[in-house]
Amino acid sequence: MALPREGTYGLLAEFDTPTALVEAAKAAHDAGWRRLDCYAPYPLEEAAEVIGFHKNRVPLLTLVGGLMGLCAMFSLETWISTLAYPLNIAGRPTYSWPAFVVPAYEWTILFAGLSAAFGMLALNGLPSLYHPLFNAPNFRSSATVDKFFLCLEATDPKFDRVETKNFLEGFHPNSVVEVEY
Amino acid sequence: MGHAATHAKSLPANLDAPGFVRGWQARALMVAVLFTVTAVVLATLDHSAEHVYRAWVVGLMLCFGFCVGGLAMLMLQYVSGGKWGLLLRRPLEAMTRTLPLVFVYWVVTGLWMKKLYLWARFSDAAAALKAGLITEGEAHAIEWKRPMLNPEMFWVVGLICFGIWAFYAWRLNSWGLKRDTQDASTTPYWIRKTENLSGFGLVVYALTMTAAVIYWVMSMDVTWYSSVYGLLFLVGEGYQVLALAVLTTLALSKEDPIQTMLRKTEQYDLGKFMMAFVMLNIYLAFAQFLIIWSGNLPEEIVWYMHRINGHWGVIATLDFIFHWLIPFALLLSRDLKTNKKRLMRVAQWMIFAKFFDLFWLVEPNFKDAGSNLHFSWGILEYIAVPVAMVSLWVAYYSWELTRRPLVQTNDPHLAEILEPEHAHA
Repeated sequence: MALPREGTYGLLAEFDTPTALVEAAKAAHDAGWRRLDCYAPYPLEEAAEVIGFHKNRVPLLTLVGGLMGLCAMFSLETWISTLAYPLNIAGRPTYSWPAFVVPAYEWTILFAGLSAAFGMLALNGLPSLYHPLFNAPNFRSSATVDKFFLCLEATDPKFDRVETKNFLEGFHPNSVVEVEY
Repeated sequence: MGHAATHAKSLPANLDAPGFVRGWQARALMVAVLFTVTAVVLATLDHSAEHVYRAWVVGLMLCFGFCVGGLAMLMLQYVSGGKWGLLLRRPLEAMTRTLPLVFVYWVVTGLWMKKLYLWARFSDAAAALKAGLITEGEAHAIEWKRPMLNPEMFWVVGLICFGIWAFYAWRLNSWGLKRDTQDASTTPYWIRKTENLSGFGLVVYALTMTAAVIYWVMSMDVTWYSSVYGLLFLVGEGYQVLALAVLTTLALSKEDPIQTMLRKTEQYDLGKFMMAFVMLNIYLAFAQFLIIWSGNLPEEIVWYMHRINGHWGVIATLDFIFHWLIPFALLLSRDLKTNKKRLMRVAQWMIFAKFFDLFWLVEPNFKDAGSNLHFSWGILEYIAVPVAMVSLWVAYYSWELTRRPLVQTNDPHLAEILEPEHAHA
C-alpha cells in the first residue's frame, strides 16, 4: 500500500512511565486502533502484546539457517573424508561421524546467528535513513533515554486531528504533538 | 509516578505451602509402597536380588542428585543473585533438608558393597585372578587402586562428604529462616554472608561430589576412569534439580503465595536456564565420548563398547534423543517456555531422561550385561526400585516444603517481583 508522503504522519503522546504507556496503548487498541506503535528506551514486551503484535519470521529464518549450516558442514566433511581426499586415520572408517560433529555444530551456530541478525534486518526494514518521528524534538531528545511514546498514525481510518488529540489527552500524557512527514 | 506502585500486587498474607502439597506427599507414599511391592515380586520372579542392588544405585544417584544438587543450586543462587532465587530458594532448601534419607540410602549401598564393586568383593586380587573370577586387567586395577578403592576408605570418604554437605545444608537453611526475622536493613549483610559461604562451598561441593560419584558409580567398572566424570554428574545434577525445582514452582503456582509471585518474565528465564543445562550436559557427555573415541585406547574404549554393542546402541541412541534432542527441540520454543503446562511436561520429561541415562551408565558395568542387553525379570527392577526410592524421597521433600513459608521476605527483589512485568527492563 502506498503511504502518503506528505501531511501528517500521526499524533505522538509522550509518557513518563512504561505503565502509563502500556495502559494508553491497550485502551487505544481496545478502541479499535490498528495503525499505532509504541516507542520505549528498552524492550517492553507487554506493550508489544497489547497492541496486537504479530509473530515475525525471524525464529523460522534462524532455524532454517541453522539447519542449512549443519547440513552444509556435515556434507562438506563427509565429501572430503570419503570421496575427495580419503585418509586412513588410525584405521578408522573414512566416514567417522563423531569427528564431524564439532565443526558441523559450529556452523549450525554460525549460520543460525547470521540468519537471525540479517533476517531481523531484512524484516524490520533497517537500516532506515529517515523516519518522520524524528521530526518531533521531544522524541529525538528522549525516546532512547527516559520517555515512553505512543503514536497513533494518520493512516488509520479512525484518525481525526481533533478527536484523536482529545482521545490521547485523556491518558494525561506529558504532551501530544502532531508529527509531519 | 505513583502509577507503578498502585499496580503492584501485594504480598499474600499467608506464605505457607498450599494444602495440596499434603496430597503430593500422600500420593508419593502410595506410589513408594506400590513399587516396593513390585520390586519384591520381581526379585522373586527373577530368583535373585542381583538387580535390586544395581537399581538401588540408580535410585541413590537420583535422590543424591536432587538433594546435594539442590544444595549446589542453592549456593549458585546465592553467588549469582537474581529474581529467580525468590521462586526457587525454598524448594531448593527443602531438597537439601532431605539429606538424612539420602544418607540412609547410601548406608544401605555400603552394606551391599560386595555385590556391586569388584574391589570390595575381592580383597585378594591375585587369588581371584587365579580362580578365574576376574581378568588380568581387573586384578591389576584392583591392586593399583587399592589405596583409594577399599571398604574402609569407602566409609571414611563417604562420611566426610556427608558431614560437609550436612554442614552447608544446615548453615544455609538456618540462615534462610533467621534472615526473615530481621528487617530489610539487614539485607546487604545477609547477601554478603550467604555469598561468602556459598562461593567456597561450591568449590568444596565440586570436589566432594566428584569423590562420591567415583566411589559409588565409576568404580563399578574398576578398570575404567574418566577425568570429566565428576563434572558430568555435576551438570547432570543441575539438569535434574532445575527440572524438579521448576516443576515444583509451577505446580505450586496454582495457588497463593506462588501464584502472586510467578510472572511470565521469570518463568521464561527459568526455561532458558533449563535449556542451558540441557546444552551443557550434552556438551560434556559428547566431549568425553569424542576424546575417548579419538584416543581409542584399550583401557578406555571398552567402557563405550559395553554401552554400544549387543543392542546397547539402541539404549545409547534413545538416551541421546531423550536426554538432549527432545528437551532441546522443545525448549527452543519461546511460547513453550511461557506456557506453564508445557514447561511442566518438559521438566517431568527431563527427570525421566536423567533416570534413563543412569540406567545406561550403571547396568553395562556388570559382566552379564556389558555388550549384552537382554531381558530378565530382574532388569525391570530398574523401574521398580528407583521409582520406589524417589517416591519416598518426594514424600519427604513435600513434607519439607510445608515446613516453612514459600517466600523469603528479606530479599532485595521482593518489591520488584510484585510489580507488573513492564515496570522494569
